[in-house]
Amino acid sequence: MATTNNKNVAGATAPSRGRFVNTGNGPAFQVIDIGHADYAAVIDADTAFWSLMKREKLADLLSGNLPAAYAKKRSRFLQEMDGLRFGLKPSAVYFNPTERCNMNCTYCYIPEQMRHDGRHMPVKKLLAALDILKRYFQRTLPKGSLPQVIFHGAEPLLNREAIFAGIEAYRDDFRFGIQTNGTLLDDAAVGFLTDRNVSIGLSLDAPTARIADRTRKSWDGRGTFSQVIAAMDRLNGYEGWSVICTVTRENLRDLSKLVDFFHGRQVPTCLLNLIRCTLPPSRNLMPGDREAARHFLAALDRTYELYLETGRRLPVGNFANILLAIVAPAARRLMCDISPCGGGRCFFALAPNGSLFPCSEFIGINRFRGGNIFKDDISSVIESEPFRLVTGRKIEEIEPCRRCAIRHFCGSPCPAEAYNMNGGMNRTGAFCEFYEEQVRYAFRVIADGKVDAYLWDGWDKGMKTTFNMS
Amino acid sequence: MEAKQKKQAKEDVIAYRKGCSAEGTGLSHYILMDRKTK
Repeated sequence: MATTNNKNVAGATAPSRGRFVNTGNGPAFQVIDIGHADYAAVIDADTAFWSLMKREKLADLLSGNLPAAYAKKRSRFLQEMDGLRFGLKPSAVYFNPTERCNMNCTYCYIPEQMRHDGRHMPVKKLLAALDILKRYFQRTLPKGSLPQVIFHGAEPLLNREAIFAGIEAYRDDFRFGIQTNGTLLDDAAVGFLTDRNVSIGLSLDAPTARIADRTRKSWDGRGTFSQVIAAMDRLNGYEGWSVICTVTRENLRDLSKLVDFFHGRQVPTCLLNLIRCTLPPSRNLMPGDREAARHFLAALDRTYELYLETGRRLPVGNFANILLAIVAPAARRLMCDISPCGGGRCFFALAPNGSLFPCSEFIGINRFRGGNIFKDDISSVIESEPFRLVTGRKIEEIEPCRRCAIRHFCGSPCPAEAYNMNGGMNRTGAFCEFYEEQVRYAFRVIADGKVDAYLWDGWDKGMKTTFNMS
Repeated sequence: MEAKQKKQAKEDVIAYRKGCSAEGTGLSHYILMDRKTK
């Protein structure tokens, strides 16, 4: 499924040999200022091809060897992007084993009544759902590849008996993970999960209780900072854990201190996710783009300083993913920053009553319920109209994204925000300038030769170099 | 790799791309799902 509007290099019919950039059949490049003293970025957005050129030599370099070398690769890169955007099958499930949560975080995307009065999925139902998922993935995924099941919330450990039974019964059939608020992660739970190599994600928003407890608190208003710290201590030494911080106007100014805090506590990796503004309460915590970018990028700077000081990295997963999207597009792991996003096509979400949604972000929005795992065939659900609303949201149909040079490094997230906050799937989500700044920072990291410092050891193991003109 | 990249940073043009299979790619949250833990 070719998506290009730049068909001027391969398969061209016009009588132009494509010798010149931006005319005739030559490659169409957009030049962007990345805020670097020496380099500007030159991008063909359709293929996510980029190069960094010395600013003072830009005109000479655009008529040099690079355009011709790129023209030979363009079809291949276009195929790579089309495969990534339209050729993947679901391989992960966000499995909500309970509607209930023992916390009432200000920004949660699951409706409050559901979290307060909701039901658990019974053990038998949970095991039946895993069995259905196992059989579905056996039909759809290549032999030998293990699908991923991430127990998600609300708070999955409220239904501990059921999820532990599921992990025990299906440990050879899935790679399991759990995203938890950490308050119920006692010694026994840590022992069970780590013995079975379950990936564990915690949630913590700040390095002090005073700030962290502003947004993450129990139903009676008490904070949970100390309980999360205790869980972090229990996980110290285990490789498969991480911490997610939701970035709001309440904790924005403390992101750099939070990076220090995580690094000091040996957190293997973290995410600094900008708050999703799908539901109205979270919009009260929405930071401005400019301020968000300033503090977020300062936190990234701090991870680099800590790496220089200690030799130990603290990859920020969501930024690492942007960096990967630029240097190795098919190596990205997160699919919120590509269009169509991963919702409904790379992963889907299962609610405790068996309802299926393209992503957890849509749980509670009935318009996006595609079916029920106990009643409907998953393959049919994937093709249902509610799922297609999300999987069909293409950046080429969104203004101004369709003409944005960095559209495949951003993806115009998130469709849930676009629909619920901004009035339609063909709208942008909550942030734009933040993503512009993030991509510019990533290009500066590349220009300064610092890529390794922001990723994990061996990030390019098994990859092939498909273009190199450095 | 980093030393190589620092050297590249002095060049007039920096342009590289790496490729791999995209099979199995795709999460919305990052919880180290692709890391070996033991």
